[in-house]
Formats: sequence, C-alpha cells, structure tokens
Amino acid sequence: MTWKTDLPVMLPVTKPEPEPFLGLKAWHILPVALFAILGPSLGFAQTEDGGQNPLVVLMNWAPLLLQGFVFNLVISVSAMALGTVVGALLGLGQISLIPVVRGGSWFVTQFFRNAPWLVLLFFAMFLLPFEISILGLKIPFPDWLKAILGLSLPVMANVSEIVRGAVRSLPSGQWEAAESLAYTRMQTLWLIILPQCVKRMLPPWMNLYSILTMATVLASIVGVSEVMTLTGQALASEGGRPELLAPFYGFVLLLFFIYCYPIARFTVRLEKKFAVIG
Amino acid sequence: MKNRFLAGVATTLLASALSVAAASADVLDTIKERGTLIVGVKADYKPYGFLDTSGNVIGIEPDLAKDVADKLGVAIEYVPVVSSNRMQFLEQGKIDLMIATMTDRPDRREVVLIPDPNYYSSGTNILSLKSLGLTEWEDLRNKPVCGIQGAFYNKATSQNYGAEIVAFKGTAEAYSALKAGNCAAFVYDDSAIVAKTNDPEWADYEMPLQTIDDAPWGLAVALGEENFAQMMSDMIIDWHKTGRILELETKWGVTNTPFAKAMNEKYNQ
Repeated sequence: MTWKTDLPVMLPVTKPEPEPFLGLKAWHILPVALFAILGPSLGFAQTEDGGQNPLVVLMNWAPLLLQGFVFNLVISVSAMALGTVVGALLGLGQISLIPVVRGGSWFVTQFFRNAPWLVLLFFAMFLLPFEISILGLKIPFPDWLKAILGLSLPVMANVSEIVRGAVRSLPSGQWEAAESLAYTRMQTLWLIILPQCVKRMLPPWMNLYSILTMATVLASIVGVSEVMTLTGQALASEGGRPELLAPFYGFVLLLFFIYCYPIARFTVRLEKKFAVIG
Repeated sequence: MKNRFLAGVATTLLASALSVAAASADVLDTIKERGTLIVGVKADYKPYGFLDTSGNVIGIEPDLAKDVADKLGVAIEYVPVVSSNRMQFLEQGKIDLMIATMTDRPDRREVVLIPDPNYYSSGTNILSLKSLGLTEWEDLRNKPVCGIQGAFYNKATSQNYGAEIVAFKGTAEAYSALKAGNCAAFVYDDSAIVAKTNDPEWADYEMPLQTIDDAPWGLAVALGEENFAQMMSDMIIDWHKTGRILELETKWGVTNTPFAKAMNEKYNQ
C-alpha cells in the first residue's frame, strides 16, 4: 500500500549521510603508508651504495620505536585517567551552589585551559623534584611520571569544561521536574542529570583523548624516552643519513594515525547515534 | 611530661634521619650500597654515545663508563642525557658520573667537579660543499650555517665570524638541511666531520677550514665528591697510559686523534 504525504512524521526515516566529506575508509591507510614510507625510500634508492636501503634500516629499528610508542600510549592513558577524575570533580565544582567552590573551580579551569600544554609540561618537569625524601626513605619521581602529571593538567581543565557544558546543556525542565518530585540536589545530579550527560560528554572526551595522544610527543622535548626521542636517537645512530628522515618520521606518523583514526571514526559514529534528528 | 617524651622521640627520629643522610654523603658508598653505578651518557652522538637497534646505549663513552663500574665491582646503568640537562642531573644526584662529550670550561667547573687530566678533546670545524670554495672562517659572514641546538660553538661562530646559525635538534636534520642547500655549511665537531668526508655519499663535501676552539673534554662528578674525583683522575691517567682511549677510537671507527696520541706518549715517558 502506498500513499503520498508531505507530513514529516509520515515520511520514512532516511538514513543520515553515511560518511562526512573527509571520511577515510579503512583501506585508505594503505596509500598513506605507501606515501609515508615507501615513497621516500624508493626516491632515494639510487643512494643505496651509501648504506642499506632505508626500509631495511627502518625495519631494524621498528621494534624499538614500537616500544617507545607503547610508552606514549601509557603516558596518554594515565594522563587521561588522572585528568578525567580531577577534571570531573572540578567540573562539578563549577556548577556548585557554594560561591567559593564555584569561583575557585572556575579559576583553576580557566587558568589551565588557557595555558600552552608545552609550558605546563616544562613546569611539571623542572619544578617537581626527581625524588621525594621522607625520613631517609627516597621515593623516585621519574621523568615519565612528571610528564603524566604535566599533561594531565590541561586534560583536567578541558574535562572540567566538558562536564560543566554537558550539565548546562540539559534543559532546565529536568531540574524542575526532579525538584517537583522532591529529589534533593544531590539525587537530581547523580540519578537524573549526570546519566544523561555521559552520552553528551563521550564524543568530546574522546576527541580530547585523541588530541592528548598526539600531544604526548611533546614529552620528547623534556627528555622522556618516548617515540620521538628514540627516533631522533636512532637517526643519530645511523649517522644522520638525510634519506632516513622521511621514512622514520613517516613511520611515527603512521603509528599515531593507525591509533587515533579509529577513535575519530568511533567518535563520529557516537555523535550521529546521539544526535537528535531534526 | 608526655609532651617532652614525644619531643625527645621526635628529636631522636630526626637525628637518625639526618645521620642516615650524612652517612651517605660520599657517593662511592652510595654506589656500592646500591650495587649500581649510574652514568649519564649521550645517546645521540655517534660514535661517542649512541643507541643500538635494541635500545642499549653503546659507544666510546659507555665503554669508558663500564671500565669505572668494573673497577668498583658494581653493575652499570646508563641514563641518556642531552647538553641542556647533563649538569642538572649530576647536581640533583640523579646520576653519579657524567661522561657526555662535555667541553671543559671554567664556568662549568663552578657547577660540577671535573677531575684532571682531560680524557678527550675535539675542535670545531665545518662541513661544506667543495664548490663553495670556503677558505677561512670569515667567509661564513652573513651566510646561513647549520648547527646543533645547545652546542657551545654556535655562539662563537655567530659572534666572531658573523654566521647566521640555524640550529637543529639532531645531526640527521642538520645533514638533511645541508644537503638540501638550506645552509652554506654545517658547524660541528671536527672528528665527526672527518668521518663524514670519508663517506662516498658526501664526496662533494669537504672540511675546508682550520680547526678552531680545540677544547678538552671533561667527565664530571658532583661538587664535593673529592674521593670519587681522585679515583676518576687515576682512572683517566690509566686510560691514557694503557692506550685505552686509542683502542676505543679504533674500535668505534674514529681515526686516532692527536690529543689521544699525545696523552698516551706523555704518560708513557
């Protein structure tokens, strides 16, 4: 049975656009990889008499660079975990009814949100001691731990804003309805508001994680042995051959791309899923 | 009464904590207690300190550091350092000993303890295209010259000879920039440049100038560690006397330097 209508509610649901304009499919990784690694090594194939083929050299170093990359992931996950916990508290502080808490949380959030990540990292690196001495007991405080602390500061501030924004974005009717049902503020927040916020917070939170992961290479500037530091040292160990630069940095780029791209795709999917079709 | 007792306990605790700190003042005892000698070395300065593919630090300086650990009868641990943090690490006590291609200069002797004699020496020179025909340092005036971040000769090259220094993070980036023609020359250690000019890939390049700033390198321990410094002095003399430095140069593919030869002769007279 068919009928004609122009009423939107009667129209069959059309699927949203399957891919955004710049969406890459999984197989697109392949040409990117070819471009990043094979291209330069083929381009420099004529210089082979100077040493081994760049690709062979890269393969020798790949295990070490992968280890370094895993270290980057450890830093990113830890900084994200720490930043999320503290940031969520700060975010709730920003919607507190107590003016001092609200003001204080707002100030801390704005301060760290508007500071360059690298500067915060430098502060964490050079202000914290390398070991803490308590009554002769020495607790070491290694560089990577300082990097985690340094990077978790901007994450904290951004999570705080995500939480505040998500709570504010809910229609005030939710609060009023809860109040009319005699929920306390605490109950309203935990049982009604925050559960609805989670899905709103998830996409920006994942975006933030992607950005953080890519920012972990900043730690190389302050001497943490992560993938960029190791790449630089590997290049120096190969005698600084210029034709190795592109394959090596291309490899690092590819590692981050393979890791971050699925997160970005998943975020887009979540955003679509939670989007209100209008 | 009770308060006084508590105060007494607290004082005793504090005193014992302090005495622990005082007892460990001599770093040699700390090293033996720990069973490990922690040495700061370069990890991006081939062949003096660089990485192998499994991530271990190798090279001339790590080998020298290993000699020290063997003498003390302890295990060794390498901490990669860069020019900008090596003295801080030593001051903080993060490393016990630093052998990291550091040029021995009076202002550095105020910050760390550098035992005599010097263990190595190098000068500054440039790598440039033969076709440029550079003959003296003055030729670099107002020309872009590649360098490495944190190297002390950057300043000298720009101040004395008016070169415009373009500083890179690592040697690979600097060599790449030189090949691409972004700079007229690359200012670096003469020993490394000699090795580069022997490379067929760099056949068009030369080391055209007179080596300047021939400066000795000093290894260092933290200020006040006189015992350790004395031990290191003896070790350095021993290295020169037995030809250990010359042997390591050969092992890692460096032409024997005039300094190492002269020191070897000096201590064998």
